[in-house]
Amino acid sequence: METCVRKIVSIVLRPVKTTSIPISMKYQLLSLFAFIVFSGFAQDKPSKGTEKYTISGYVKDAKNGESLIGATVYKQGSNIGASANEYGFYALTLPKGEHIIAVGLIGYATFTFAIDLDKSVTKNFELKEEGKDLEEVEITSEAADKNVKSVEMSVAKLDIKQINKIPALLGEVDVIRAIQLLPGVTTVGEGASGFNVRGGNIDQNLILLDEAPVYNSSHLFGFFSVFNPDAVKDVKLIKGGIPSQYGGRVSSILDVRMKEGNSKKTTVSGGLGTIFSRISLEAPIIKDKASFIIAGRRSYIDALVKPFLKETNALKKADFYFYDLTAKFNWRINDKNTVFASGYLGRDVFGASVFSFNWGNTTTTARWNHIFNKKLFMNATAFYSNYDYALKFGTSSGQSFNWKSNIINYSLKNDFIYYLNSRNTLRFGAQALAYDFLPYNAVGNFENATVTFKSAKRYGVEYSTYIGNEQKITPKITAEYGVRFSMYTYVGKGKAYYFRDTVPNTARALDRSATYNAGQLIKAYINPEPRFSMNYSINKVSSLKFSYNRMAQYIQLISNTAASTPLDVYTIASNNLKPLLSDQGSVGYFRNFKDNMFETSVECYYKYLQNQLDYIDNADLFINPTVENQLLQGLGRAYGAEFYVKKNKGKLQGWISYTLSKTERLVRGISNGDWFKSRYDRTHSLNTSLNYDITKRWNISANFVLLSGVPATFPNAKVQVQGWSIPYNTDNVRNNFRITSYHRLDLGATYDINMEKVWARKKDRRVWYRKVLGLDTSNVMVPRKIFKNYKSSLVFSVYNAYNRRNAFSIYFRTKEGTTYQTEAVRFSIVGSVIPAVTYNFNF
Amino acid sequence: MNMKTILKTFILAAFVVTFSSCEDVVQVKLDEGSKIYVIDAFVNDLAAPQTIRVLTSDSYFSNREAPPVPNASVVLRDMTDNKQYTFTYTSNGNYVYTPAATETMAVVNHQYQLEVGVDGVVYTSITTQKRAAKIDSIISLPADNGGFGPPAKDGIFSCYLIAKDKTDSNTDYYWVKTFRNDTLFNAPSDINLSIDGTNGPVSGVPVDSTDFTPPIVFLGFKPYKLFDRCKVEIHSISRDTYFFFVQAAAQINNGGLFATTPENVKTNIVTPNNAKTKAIGWFNMASVASQTKVVK
Repeated sequence: METCVRKIVSIVLRPVKTTSIPISMKYQLLSLFAFIVFSGFAQDKPSKGTEKYTISGYVKDAKNGESLIGATVYKQGSNIGASANEYGFYALTLPKGEHIIAVGLIGYATFTFAIDLDKSVTKNFELKEEGKDLEEVEITSEAADKNVKSVEMSVAKLDIKQINKIPALLGEVDVIRAIQLLPGVTTVGEGASGFNVRGGNIDQNLILLDEAPVYNSSHLFGFFSVFNPDAVKDVKLIKGGIPSQYGGRVSSILDVRMKEGNSKKTTVSGGLGTIFSRISLEAPIIKDKASFIIAGRRSYIDALVKPFLKETNALKKADFYFYDLTAKFNWRINDKNTVFASGYLGRDVFGASVFSFNWGNTTTTARWNHIFNKKLFMNATAFYSNYDYALKFGTSSGQSFNWKSNIINYSLKNDFIYYLNSRNTLRFGAQALAYDFLPYNAVGNFENATVTFKSAKRYGVEYSTYIGNEQKITPKITAEYGVRFSMYTYVGKGKAYYFRDTVPNTARALDRSATYNAGQLIKAYINPEPRFSMNYSINKVSSLKFSYNRMAQYIQLISNTAASTPLDVYTIASNNLKPLLSDQGSVGYFRNFKDNMFETSVECYYKYLQNQLDYIDNADLFINPTVENQLLQGLGRAYGAEFYVKKNKGKLQGWISYTLSKTERLVRGISNGDWFKSRYDRTHSLNTSLNYDITKRWNISANFVLLSGVPATFPNAKVQVQGWSIPYNTDNVRNNFRITSYHRLDLGATYDINMEKVWARKKDRRVWYRKVLGLDTSNVMVPRKIFKNYKSSLVFSVYNAYNRRNAFSIYFRTKEGTTYQTEAVRFSIVGSVIPAVTYNFNF
Repeated sequence: MNMKTILKTFILAAFVVTFSSCEDVVQVKLDEGSKIYVIDAFVNDLAAPQTIRVLTSDSYFSNREAPPVPNASVVLRDMTDNKQYTFTYTSNGNYVYTPAATETMAVVNHQYQLEVGVDGVVYTSITTQKRAAKIDSIISLPADNGGFGPPAKDGIFSCYLIAKDKTDSNTDYYWVKTFRNDTLFNAPSDINLSIDGTNGPVSGVPVDSTDFTPPIVFLGFKPYKLFDRCKVEIHSISRDTYFFFVQAAAQINNGGLFATTPENVKTNIVTPNNAKTKAIGWFNMASVASQTKVVK
């Protein structure tokens, strides 16, 4: 089937030389597609002369003017509704006449109103947050059963309020660490950058920050992510059934949307933590029209630790810190036009005078939302993303070595949403994405010579276009189907290397190289990527969902180490490296209980990957112009079942997830050419995250994680050469063992401080000023006002509460000072209980 | 110490401070692999008895010297001069040949074949002896810790090697062996390799005619005391031998956050197709440049 589709595409795009598939089959396929599309549209023509009109507009938060992603607008007592898109825009088409419309979103009070529809209208809504006092009040909002009703599957959404309740490492809430508690998501261990989704490598996740890709989502080797929780509004992880508007990575999409900034009033929030501090400022520029947010973080573990280090410690004179700055501006020019500009800048620095390295991401996004008419919404985006990393050596005698590498993306894209009618929502668009990639640039200054190792830059351009439709086929069946065409060109200016074939798992010899001019085509790849998902509602509380998607990826990370290092470089598809492809099918059963108090789901997936990178033995990946001959490409397969129970309401909230899965690889020349377990294969994965409101002020929370150990290659013999005992596996198999299982308990408690009460009495304030600050308060104006809205909380957390030394790896070494005595060593990143206190505030 | 080692050390240090990362020796139950022969054949042109070892592999945790193979026949053939040298068994898997005072067994640019016969099967390997480096001098200076570890104490010296690479377009690969009072520093971390006088990992594009400048060939972090003898031997090795050492060093101590995927070391010993037991190991013929300095 896929080959057929590919052939059709190639016929469309260029004449084919190869034998083509039977013409009847092509027509069958085309007519099938045409049938689906047109039958869908046909259903929605005004029937029996009933006129239809559209209500459209934005849904926002009444408190701060933030657009509410995913809010639903529906006709009460029916299943006709629409949900707000990533920009809070909705459009709902209804027949002429009177309707009662409800607007809702989890955590917000549902707003209802009556309308007599006789023309298309613009209606903007502002929803009020449900207060804690409202908790007992029964609020039926359609949004609460969205997991069952929507066509989306394999999707996990976390809003920042939820993330804030999870006990966090060193008291700092973190988007990526929260995601790791969801079913189907794992990592190889603490200290590993990135995360693995359904058996995918870390480079197979498209991490978008306001639509710009982020190449390294980690600070401090994965302990923290680059996303500042104070600036994040919404996080959505799509593991399967990926809609056609997304492309470029094969395993998942992590779509992170930044806050727009409070458009009602100026607010400041921040936190003082054990490892870093945060501060953010949001303010309106023109009330309800234009606002901004700027948020920054800086770690100070180095400053805190240094006084306790001995003079002799290598870290005494060292820098190790990270910082980031996130900013966004939006301006609603009028009802039809809104512009956004957002940016991120962050860097990790580790080093001393003799040696240092650093890495960082920079992203900039400019967007324009335009509403052509009540039904057609457009978003035009231009973005720039730069990920760079550098390494430096220097000695006192003036010798030095400097190495750096970067990858830059420029992109223009245009997305349209056409709210055709109440049954069909069409999305279509196009994107051009340029890769400007410097594999390495190293300069060594030796005593009498300067040596430069500089790789030529490499260029690629990815063009894509897509169309997709979400269609309510019958009241019980909703489908989303579409296709994305991606075309990738590997272009000059540059040198392309061509290698001869050889025995697998040895470096291929260079056959020739060729020089290409700027823009000259070296190699092109075209991939049609069909996408499909379907929801069949069994009844009001349960549904069955199916999905299939093919994804193509034109960039991969070169990393043959246990955890990705900051020195790992990305590489783009070329004449030697084929694009990575994945096919994934999933099926799921979703059911809610007790009036949506409990959400449950079971999903099964099967994923097949082609052209996944692996490495020849003893690969030389560092500063190597012909690094491509050190790489192998192989197959991957992953399958599993994910079970999920979530409690949404009440004093006790949280979820339990369990994943049973298997992830394998097949690479010629490795592990005797048999399937072997991948490095991030974890058979069992149990995640529990719960929180409980004890009182209005006290909230406690706990995480428990239990995972199978990751596979590892263990020796079954040792061989002695030149007095060294070298571990050896006579069966030549990879990942033949599993290290001990991983389990951990984290505890947290949050106490909301009532500053208003504390500062209520003027006399008390005077006393405090006099006693604590030593001021003469008789003539001082006591600034009560700022404390009126001052809210703060103390967050206590204990990570790894029962002090387990979880193995990151088990490795084998010769005992020091001996030649033939060998031992196994367990390496743990976290070797103790890590307690922390953080003070958060906002006003 | 190459860049990756320094990187590993540094990051580990940062983790120790930040998250109290730790290493514990643990008990692991391993499979028992089938026996294979291990041939350890590093022959050089020094006027001293030359040893080739024939051993078998052993359980990983055996805690004993590698089991010897005493009944092998070991012959080294100089294919350029059509001569052959038969090594005789002494003990512990050692097969020894002592060249006569007038005899030069290992000659630059000669091709050699090693033939090891065990139970009727002949395992072979072919290599060519590469040219020697030239040592200018060894200097000793009060120790410098290079920014890592505790600062040097008074009366402790570091030794540096000054040598010059041959000025032509041929790439030379060297193994620098360092001794203190005739004891070889032979921990895995002491493996000191060089391509054309540069520190290895900046490979692919070796730099020619560069001095073996300190600290590029810094003779380990091992301290010397006053009047210790610092001896250096530069062994010429083949390109394949160079990569064998790189791989072996990586496998012997492959720990930490950025450990590479464990892999079996390569071998240049050829096992004939009909052999029941495989043989692995390494064969290299070296030209040696040597110099000794008394630290003062």
